[in-house]
Amino acid sequence: MSGLFQVPWSDYQSNLLDALGRTLAYTVVSFVGAVLLGLVVALLRLSRTWPARAIAAVYTEVFKNVPLLAIIFLTYFGLASVGVRLDVFTAGCLSLVVFYAAYLSEIFRSAISGVHAGQTEAGQALGIGRTGIFGHVVLPQALRLALPGTNTMLVDLLKSTSLLVTVSAAELMSEGRLITSATFRALEVYLVISAVYFALCYPLSQLLLLLERKVRAGVPLSPWRRRRLRAARALLAAEPTPDAIVKEVSV
Amino acid sequence: MTEPVTAPKTMTPAPSEAVVRITGLSKSFDGRLVLDDVHLEVHRGRIVSIIGQSGGGKSTLMRCVNLLERPDRGTVEIAGEVVHSGGRTVCRDLPRLRRTVGMVFQRFNLFPHLTAVENVVLAQRKAGVPEQEALERAVALLRRVGVAHRALAQPDQLSGGEQQRVAIARALALKPEVLLFDEPTSSLDPEATREVLSVMRELAADGMTMLLVTHELPFAREVSDHVVFVDGGRIVEEGGPDSVLGSPSQARTREFLASYGSTS
Repeated sequence: MSGLFQVPWSDYQSNLLDALGRTLAYTVVSFVGAVLLGLVVALLRLSRTWPARAIAAVYTEVFKNVPLLAIIFLTYFGLASVGVRLDVFTAGCLSLVVFYAAYLSEIFRSAISGVHAGQTEAGQALGIGRTGIFGHVVLPQALRLALPGTNTMLVDLLKSTSLLVTVSAAELMSEGRLITSATFRALEVYLVISAVYFALCYPLSQLLLLLERKVRAGVPLSPWRRRRLRAARALLAAEPTPDAIVKEVSV
Repeated sequence: MTEPVTAPKTMTPAPSEAVVRITGLSKSFDGRLVLDDVHLEVHRGRIVSIIGQSGGGKSTLMRCVNLLERPDRGTVEIAGEVVHSGGRTVCRDLPRLRRTVGMVFQRFNLFPHLTAVENVVLAQRKAGVPEQEALERAVALLRRVGVAHRALAQPDQLSGGEQQRVAIARALALKPEVLLFDEPTSSLDPEATREVLSVMRELAADGMTMLLVTHELPFAREVSDHVVFVDGGRIVEEGGPDSVLGSPSQARTREFLASYGSTS
């Protein structure tokens, strides 16, 4: 064991940092894309018109039941063979987006339909329009329900970027393979690469758990909500005399 | 801040003005007739109670007023405007109609992701009320129903009675012409029931027009101008509270009241 660490890591420092940045870029771009596409698919799945529901169902089932690696090969090598040449970053992100959108759409769909029907009714009874009810009543509550599953998917997506080693995407795993082939020290190199993934994923999932707890506790995260609550607090602090209460609210 | 919380009461009494007028209303669910040729009027400043057994169609009747349920036949008229007729919604702008009709639900249905005060603000903002004005009105309403000290709490931190009082404040926020109460105390314990009934009593004293579905027969007798007994989707008996609840003329009504043990 004394000779375990023999790779000249300082030589690879800047390469590793580049690779780390690439891994994060794949993660962020793909996750944002997957969330947006997943939301669209979820809404189609909940649509009142059956063709929309059918398209969404087919999409979800196809991409949920095909391995991610097969999707990566199809978008990068498969499409290239019929003349659609995507650069590796585009192909990689596209694969991750279509794959994770399928899972996220299921999470979003169950979250949206998990919001109690009485909530929509309360919104209707208050004369709030359809988009208002969706945006201010259903979506915020669905978000809370979807948060745990979505967070799991984010961490999973980050780890899955390592599959892009198969198309030499220059992310962490690819860099690990390069260093291995230069040094022939597979155990050491992949231990270090694994440690880097762990150092990324563990704090991320802890942070997301914290976010979940804050959201569940109703901590206002948006600035305009904080402003509104501050203004409310100011109004509440200005204790009116009993006389004023009578005056301000009597018929 | 000086605006009245309830709809402005007309100085000249116009007792014949119906805020809600329902004629010949029928409604079925999956081929089962739940309301059969029902007529109902609620005049301005009056309080009408609908009583009857669960499943008798009372809640459905109330939910037809703001078209949470669409009647199959008959006419629904709100503040002189026909909004639904012959199975078709005539009103082009349902949100506008619904803003004139406040509703309080049995299970409160507060928005759980918002604080009490935000619950009262949301619909006002969506109706175009400026932010500060909406907040001031929300705080005034919460004070009025006695839950201002809980204004920044989330619904799940509130007791049932507090939640229902916030729901009443929320329903009042848009200055509705009429308030609908759908069994507002049915999921509350006796103490919370007292709190909520006392708020409703104050609203009644202020001249708020109200239509309520309730099992609180003594309360209905105390505050109502008119009581309607619904059974099997039809109005079996209606009239003044003392006559319907005190000396009912129909055998079915007597039977119902006896089962509640509150014919006194």
